[in-house]
Amino acid sequence: MPLNVPEADYMHSGHMACPGCGAAIAMRFFLKGLGKETVIVLPACCWSIIAGAYPQMSLKVPIIHTAFETGGAVASGVRAALDIRGDTDTTVVTWAGDGGTFDIGFQSLSGAVERNENFIYVCYDNEAYMNTGVQRSSSTPYGAWTTTTPGRSWKRMRKKNIVEALVAHRIPYAATASIAFPEDMVRKVEKAKGIKGSRFLHVYTTCPTGWRIPSEISVKIARMAVQTNIFPLYEVEGGTHYTINYRPKEFPVREYFRLQGRFSHLSDDDLAEIQAMVTEDWELLLGKAGAVRP
Amino acid sequence: MNEEKTPPAVSPLLLARSHITTEGNKTGSWRFLRPRYEEKTPPCSVACPAGEDIGLIEELTNQGMFKEAWETILRENPFPGVCGSVCYHPCEAACNRGEFDEAIAISAIERFLADAARRNDVRPSLSRSAPRREKVAIVGGGPAGLSAAYFLTMLGYGCDVFDGMSEPGGVLRWGIPEFRLPLAILQRDIALIEAQGVRIQGGVQVSEALMRDMDGDYDAVFIACGYTRSRSLGIPGEDLDGIEDGRRFLHHIRLGNRPRLEGLQVIIGGGNTAIDVARTVRRLGGTPLIAYRRRLQDMPAFADEIAMARDEGIALKELVAPLAITPHGDGYILTLGQMHMTGEDDRGRAIVAPDEGAAEELAAAQVFTAIGEEAAQSWCIPPRGDGVVRLNAVVCDFRSGRACRVFGGDLTTDTKSVVDAVASGKEAAIALDILFREGLDAVEPGIRECLVGDGRFCSMEIYRGGTRCHRSSHVVPYDEINADYFQLSRRISQPRLLMEERVATFDAVDLKISASMAIREAERCFNCGLCNQCDNCYLFCPDLSIVRDTTPPGRHIDYDYCKGCGLCVAECPRNAMVLEEETDETGTGGEPGRR
Amino acid sequence: MKQVLEGSQAVAEAVRLARVDVISAYPITPQTHIVEYLSDFVADGTLRASFLKVESEHSALASLVGAASCGVRTFTSSSSQGLALMHEILHWSAGARLPIVMAEVNRALGPGWNIWADQLDSLAQRDTGWIQLYCEHGQEVLDTVLMAYRLAERVSLPVMVIMDAFFLSHTYEPVDVPDQERVDRFLPPFEPRFRLDRDDPVAFSPLVSPQYYMEIRHNAARAMDESVEQLAYIEEVFSEIFDRTYGPVEPFLCEDAEIILVTSGTVTGTARHVVRELRARGERVGLLKIKLFRPFPRDVIRRALGGTEKVAVIDRNCSFGIGGIFAQEVRAALCGLEGCPRVYGYIAGLGGRDVTTGLLEDIYDHTKNSEVPPEVSIWMGLQEVDHALKCP
Repeated sequence: MPLNVPEADYMHSGHMACPGCGAAIAMRFFLKGLGKETVIVLPACCWSIIAGAYPQMSLKVPIIHTAFETGGAVASGVRAALDIRGDTDTTVVTWAGDGGTFDIGFQSLSGAVERNENFIYVCYDNEAYMNTGVQRSSSTPYGAWTTTTPGRSWKRMRKKNIVEALVAHRIPYAATASIAFPEDMVRKVEKAKGIKGSRFLHVYTTCPTGWRIPSEISVKIARMAVQTNIFPLYEVEGGTHYTINYRPKEFPVREYFRLQGRFSHLSDDDLAEIQAMVTEDWELLLGKAGAVRP
Repeated sequence: MNEEKTPPAVSPLLLARSHITTEGNKTGSWRFLRPRYEEKTPPCSVACPAGEDIGLIEELTNQGMFKEAWETILRENPFPGVCGSVCYHPCEAACNRGEFDEAIAISAIERFLADAARRNDVRPSLSRSAPRREKVAIVGGGPAGLSAAYFLTMLGYGCDVFDGMSEPGGVLRWGIPEFRLPLAILQRDIALIEAQGVRIQGGVQVSEALMRDMDGDYDAVFIACGYTRSRSLGIPGEDLDGIEDGRRFLHHIRLGNRPRLEGLQVIIGGGNTAIDVARTVRRLGGTPLIAYRRRLQDMPAFADEIAMARDEGIALKELVAPLAITPHGDGYILTLGQMHMTGEDDRGRAIVAPDEGAAEELAAAQVFTAIGEEAAQSWCIPPRGDGVVRLNAVVCDFRSGRACRVFGGDLTTDTKSVVDAVASGKEAAIALDILFREGLDAVEPGIRECLVGDGRFCSMEIYRGGTRCHRSSHVVPYDEINADYFQLSRRISQPRLLMEERVATFDAVDLKISASMAIREAERCFNCGLCNQCDNCYLFCPDLSIVRDTTPPGRHIDYDYCKGCGLCVAECPRNAMVLEEETDETGTGGEPGRR
Repeated sequence: MKQVLEGSQAVAEAVRLARVDVISAYPITPQTHIVEYLSDFVADGTLRASFLKVESEHSALASLVGAASCGVRTFTSSSSQGLALMHEILHWSAGARLPIVMAEVNRALGPGWNIWADQLDSLAQRDTGWIQLYCEHGQEVLDTVLMAYRLAERVSLPVMVIMDAFFLSHTYEPVDVPDQERVDRFLPPFEPRFRLDRDDPVAFSPLVSPQYYMEIRHNAARAMDESVEQLAYIEEVFSEIFDRTYGPVEPFLCEDAEIILVTSGTVTGTARHVVRELRARGERVGLLKIKLFRPFPRDVIRRALGGTEKVAVIDRNCSFGIGGIFAQEVRAALCGLEGCPRVYGYIAGLGGRDVTTGLLEDIYDHTKNSEVPPEVSIWMGLQEVDHALKCP
């Protein structure tokens, strides 16, 4: 039975994304859910390139490219201007990478959602500054190689929990999504569209180039991240009400790590330590959702 | 309120603003691997002796296209109703879904499709080749003979079937009990065969003399008269009056007789005939006991049939062989010797030897023999030597000087079953068609060309150049299925009569399933290697390079933009695509290769 | 109607009269009064606008990039550290050709923390592509903000209206606040030459390769150059409606002057007084006020200063390594002029230190008595300090 997602597409072929790019897939699903009445604010990230170099453009909805750290701020201005012009239908979206969300863009994001600006902020997360050549961000997971955490200096800081940081602002809606679960993602986009105020989507998007994996397993890796509870699918409404959308069979994390070149230096002991961290985080999340471990 | 004079002109505004699409970039030039739609062969269709296109049948059933699904069966097997009732379904043992949760109930679905067609009196639309000059005589109106006639007619040949009984069907009509194969189902299958133009002459006892006449009147003779002589036990007392030959007993019952039986009825043998006799005895009031010389797991009867017999409370004695039968009162004393296992043969069957001295005497009201059959006439036995070609299911005697003779059915197949008989009839038809069109030397290579997957059974559709030709012969194993796209679900349970109801009548034990059950079960099919339009490829393409259209398979790859990432191939749940090296330097053209 | 307003209030009145749609600002002394007045206007409905209370100056200007791109009239205000923080987006606004108007309060940059008048903050942004207009008094502030909108929207470049911290922002003066009807005649509603429109799938400010970048930048540079002529026309229209005019520069008592003082901002007011006094004593001295700094009105400057002997430029700023920035720009404008005057650069009043009449007279004396101008700017009024750290 075909996966049930809306038919229409709002993207063109011929863009410059790497083969197998998860971010390209994510945008495709996102726009399927959101539709044509959309304007996109696009701070510096891989999508700045995928959107097309002058004079080309790869989307069927308008884009305003902006400086790296301004995703939340520019969207605030766009929203204010559209509202004052009498257009309250168009959805304003910020589409940012993990760099422009977790790090340099965090201030303007926090400022915008503290004001409960009426927009959807989507962070598509490939877990490093990929556009500039795979440097670490605070979204890079524990254990990963990047060009700024090379060799024995692999990243020993845990991935920042951006959803929790956003939830602390008590925004109306925050959710995680994955390119391997299109129906879930589209459902969340459609739901977010109908909510007013600040809405945040954290989308897991595989990067074959930066993660050192073959392009054809891009979606499989995304699926494994959810199946191992490394990237759980859940929603938080009003900053307090947690819903876990998918309870997988809890596969061990080992194979997920072993398939990716960026983790090839990790020993079995490291993997065991990581497994404990993943389990701990998952149990914390279960607690917040008021759920019980089976 | 002065009027403003005209302001000085400003230059036109050029700002950084993109206004054309990226479609000018033919990113297909990036590619060093190229995906392609390529359907492959599901293992069920390889295991099926009739080579039925099972993956497609399930897909059509799932879509509610019952007539098309039924016609898909008929392209390879004229007996969907019969097989749906009595087939031993080797397809289900090969079903990949069995490694995930439970195999698809292919046989139940086949029966459903035949039932639905019969109830609605649907006529199939099957194509037939242009008429050919040659004529073929078919000796034996059982499943092999009728299949041969059916397929030869499909290929354009005039056929005459000669059968000794008053009604055709062979074992189907005169052997298998009605509680397994209701008469109406058989009659419908045969009626459709006749509707294709097959001429059946009943009541004709074929002799060597008649065969010589046929040599003159026909270009070929297909001999499928089956085994009509039971093997003898070779023990004292077997010729006593009243010792029943199991096969003859079944025939007697199929004539409509329902003798009342009482007391212990011992059936010697372990094949389907023995089981059928035992279950018939049960229904007639007797207490059946099966006595078999090897172990239960060595019995050649179909596993389902053995299970049914056990369910009906039929007792089994393993590792016993009859030594003598002596009369005793109104019945008999049957002396059974113990056997023991000395080892296993290369097929895992027990090799047994008698225990010295250990014997048991049983008082039985009746003894039935069912230890196997053999050819009754010498001309039924397939020859060997120069000019004789053994194909997969038939033996062809191409020696010049007379019309060639092809032997099939139980005479030649390893497994004695309906579907194997169908396979032999089909292979015979194909072999003869090749012989008539291209000559002797083309027969064996021609047969090889139309085998399904890496197996040894022919497909008529492949032979006739249908869409199955374009599939790769690679057989898809379970580990090539992307199981992430499927959820565990139970196989439907076959509705059956309750035990008390079963043994009281000769009504069919298996009841019909509903359309919704059939669809639900067909939906569980992985459609291994076949495109079922799930559109995963289309959905996951980051470059929107998969375009839906109206020509099969319903979509094509836009190689101008495809970067060869391979996601479509990886996310196809059923391996209906391949990823190959890009050979075209420009990456923009080239026809996809054939298999 | 004439009111007594501080400079900040004059800004707010102008923004109100200009019917700005979206305001976005972050507080910093001494700009705070501007945003406070505007907050009141928005709160009580006097001004129907959106006021985004952003979390930093960088976000203030970035949010206006978003808003202006949608074709609405926008305003922000900042100073010193806040303006410096906006730097990246100052470049962006101009490159994106957005007609944003900013009221910039000239305040010193730290360290040390200093909230008083100094011009370095705005001058350090002179390369960002913003038009810069310096104001001397409250009326000029109000009028310049109105003219700024018309100019910005005509040439599609952002405009900074600049005033000294405290000396102008917090000083009360009589200011004529025009009525809305007259302002509406001068400044019609904004008709954007482009805007973000959901039905028009274009991308603003995408990646631009070497193949295309220069032409886009050249187009902006040309618009900047054309703004001199456009401003002159706008001043004509303004004068016809409001009967006030300023010009890119204003010569004062420059006919037959042998020495011309060059000033900007509130120092100009003090300089007028000193020049009148000196003239009364028979000195042949004049004053050139520079209002338009970007684009630097080269031709006008050459005409205004070409006939004199010496020019004394007073800079309330210093660019380390080259000295006073106005002096540098004047020297460059005069370069190659036949009979080019000798240019003396003086640095005075940094960090809000008073530029007194006495100091200006000293500058005049020094200029008069010197034959050859030093290559570097002369720091006026430096004090001795005895606590500088000595190196071993």
